[in-house]
Amino acid sequence: MSDILNAVRQPVNTANGLPNEHYIDPNTYIEERNAVLFANWAGLAVAADVPENGDAVPIDFAGMPLLLIRDREGAVRVFQNTCRHRGMILVEEPRKIEGAIRCPYHSWCYSTKGELVSTPHVGGPGQNTHPDVKRSDLGLTEIRSHIWRDVVWINVDGKAADFADAMAEPMKRWAEFEKPLYHGGDDSKFTLRVKSNWKLAVENYCESYHLPWVHPGLNSYSRLEDHYNIEEYGHYSGQGTLVYRQLLGEDGVTKFPDFDGLSKKWDTAAEYLSVFPNVLLGAHRDHAFAIILKPEGPEKTSEHIHLYYPTPDTDAGLRQKNSELWKVVFEEDIFVVEGMQRGRHAVNFDGGRFSPAMDGPTHCFHDWVAGRMQAYRAQAKAAE
Amino acid sequence: MDLNEQLLAAHDHGDKAALVALYHQAAKDVGDINSACFYATQAYIFALDCNHPDARALHAFLLEHGREE
Repeated sequence: MSDILNAVRQPVNTANGLPNEHYIDPNTYIEERNAVLFANWAGLAVAADVPENGDAVPIDFAGMPLLLIRDREGAVRVFQNTCRHRGMILVEEPRKIEGAIRCPYHSWCYSTKGELVSTPHVGGPGQNTHPDVKRSDLGLTEIRSHIWRDVVWINVDGKAADFADAMAEPMKRWAEFEKPLYHGGDDSKFTLRVKSNWKLAVENYCESYHLPWVHPGLNSYSRLEDHYNIEEYGHYSGQGTLVYRQLLGEDGVTKFPDFDGLSKKWDTAAEYLSVFPNVLLGAHRDHAFAIILKPEGPEKTSEHIHLYYPTPDTDAGLRQKNSELWKVVFEEDIFVVEGMQRGRHAVNFDGGRFSPAMDGPTHCFHDWVAGRMQAYRAQAKAAE
Repeated sequence: MDLNEQLLAAHDHGDKAALVALYHQAAKDVGDINSACFYATQAYIFALDCNHPDARALHAFLLEHGREE
């Protein structure tokens, strides 16, 4: 197994891709979930999913039940969606928490900050305390979280470096884009469901090699040679374009406003980053987007796409047009990720080879995943 | 409808404000303190759930009788 991952970590010219089991095997999926998704800062949702205080959304994250909530004072928090009493799921559907989070089983109640505030009849009928049940020890289990570019990032195992350190490289790259982002609202979000391992969506997103074949419409104004690879081994990868053109309204004049203070480079450039493990980001002079990849099993993923603008009052028609444009592009990728997924059931497939010139960003991701898996396995072995 | 029927109807409809009012009334009407604390607890929990203004008084009642913290 180690030899196989070592083969992935060779230079791109000679490396193999991750082997089949990383895409189809349930045991490897669980191991990778722990080593890659839970041990790093992964994307869970966007803060815009809980716009008002008390809004709560249950989210199954790679099989783990979580609760995204905006507490009474406006802070976004993530808890295990599991009662500390008998392990009952607390919130079944997205809803507003008016007062307390009441478990539907025995009605233990939690504040929106996760504090256990009442334990009815815990000491017998009408007796709501017991000396051995200390409420201060039994609050909801909070998951470490951080918001960057409106994405709610979580570190489930609690052991990753602080977010600012772990994500220093992509944050530095896009320091110019550290501006307020305004979600476009209901017309600026959509979800795609694909029969594919989540990693294939990352791999496809971060390289431009496929553009002339899979997105001929996009390529008519954005040629392959106008793109460049972004390869920051150990951190993130992606692609950039030098010929971004702003979308115009039906009148040929209306445009989205620009983010303030960008350098000239961004007049015609745009970049698309895969921030490992599972968040895909795009930045342009006049809009941005975030895609959260939600793993739903070894061969099933949902892609949650959200578009953002520099101001809260952009033109609705133009927003709609922009959403449709991106939806077409992302839908064009579905047959690719689903086709690669089916391809990985060929038992003699060896993980494939990379184009040394064009596939660096994809190899960068494979190298990162393989490195995380090696570290996880070494740690597990040391603990034996 | 008697109190029991009203409570069942409120449970059926998920009418939390009605549950607070009905259980609170039951706590006031019942004779012994243990039963009163049982009903007050039911009212208090639904009051916490729906952020009902009676939560404070119900908590104070339960606290007074050593049933809450």
